[in-house]
Amino acid sequence: MILRRSFRAMGTDVQLFLATEPDPLSNALLDGAEREFERLEALLSRFRPDSELSSLNENGRIHASPDLLEVVELALDARTRTSGRFDPTVYDALVAAGYDRTFEEVTQDGRSAALPAGPCGGTVTLDRSAGMIELEPGVHLDLGGIGKGYAVDRAAAILAEAGPALVDAGGDIAAIGRPDALGWRVGVETGEGTITLGLEDCALATSGRDRRRWRRDGEERHHVIDPVTGRPAETDLLRVTVVCETAVEAEVLAKALLIAGEQAATAEAEALGVASVLVTDDGRTTLAGGIV
Amino acid sequence: MTNHVLRLYALAAALLVFFLTWAAIAARPWASHSSAKADPRWAALASREHRLQHEAIAVRRVVDRRWRVYRVRLGARRRAISAAVRRHQQALAAARAAAVAVSATAPAPSYSGSTAAAPSVRVVTLPPLTITRTS
Repeated sequence: MILRRSFRAMGTDVQLFLATEPDPLSNALLDGAEREFERLEALLSRFRPDSELSSLNENGRIHASPDLLEVVELALDARTRTSGRFDPTVYDALVAAGYDRTFEEVTQDGRSAALPAGPCGGTVTLDRSAGMIELEPGVHLDLGGIGKGYAVDRAAAILAEAGPALVDAGGDIAAIGRPDALGWRVGVETGEGTITLGLEDCALATSGRDRRRWRRDGEERHHVIDPVTGRPAETDLLRVTVVCETAVEAEVLAKALLIAGEQAATAEAEALGVASVLVTDDGRTTLAGGIV
Repeated sequence: MTNHVLRLYALAAALLVFFLTWAAIAARPWASHSSAKADPRWAALASREHRLQHEAIAVRRVVDRRWRVYRVRLGARRRAISAAVRRHQQALAAARAAAVAVSATAPAPSYSGSTAAAPSVRVVTLPPLTITRTS
């Protein structure tokens, strides 16, 4: 039997699936996973003025909780590993592009903010032993994508206590175990329709330009910022889906491949052996990295 | 010379006869056997032995009775312990679930920092349980 729980958190619809019989433990774990999303959103959201992240962005330094330290450290590590294609310092670029409030509140057309767009990549100092994070003046962090991936991984770890589980938070999915021989069946939209992947003990993330888009100053904008230019990424890929060990890792790589463009992304996915589904602007679909 | 040796042999024989006679008299072969049994100390010892045997039987009965009571109480105690252990395990599971629910005790995601060991994925033909969307 598959138990199911749906709720809204981190600006997206979250679904929890648990392959077990209903009992007090499974219900408690579903409650716990839902509360974990709420707890992490309260810490990591840039849209909540009372969050730890907002305090860090406002004051430039903070004695951070273990979760904020962990996510910032993961983000900085990802910035290094992707040669800057993933960068948590895109906050000002997002605001400049018009993504200055929750997506539900972003008007579909309007004037851009006064902030100028420019390259990202300021200095972020993290002292894990002292629990301190310090930002270079003028640098602000956005942990939206990686924070959601982190929450998905945490929720999956909670549900794993009860048995096979799937956490689906919009584009970020984590699969624990498998409910049957085919694994957790997850549909991925392609240019031609939908393909179904069987997942087991892995995570999947989709990054793209087909949602979270709006218009500013007469031109179309989207939320995937290229840290090199500080502007919405110009790429021939519409959407990239990546399967990795964790949702954090998948989220980082999906964004990095999307920004890289079709040719470089295909080559990189093949070189890394990372299962990827690449959908181009003109509707072509490429399976790379060993999807069989 | 010969008379001197003869006198020594005679003296040794006399000493031998003397000691043999003394040993025979000391053994009192004429005393009767029944007089020894009539000694009251023997009777007291026999009586005491009999009493002690009865006391040993009584003590054994008391010990057996107490052992049976102990076994009954032990069984009841073991059943009570088993019930308490079951209640404890149920409470522990509930507490663990509650603890997991509130917090940060869940294990952190294992982020290796490397994409080299990516999991394998396969396309299946059955309909999906959920469809991923752009985050």
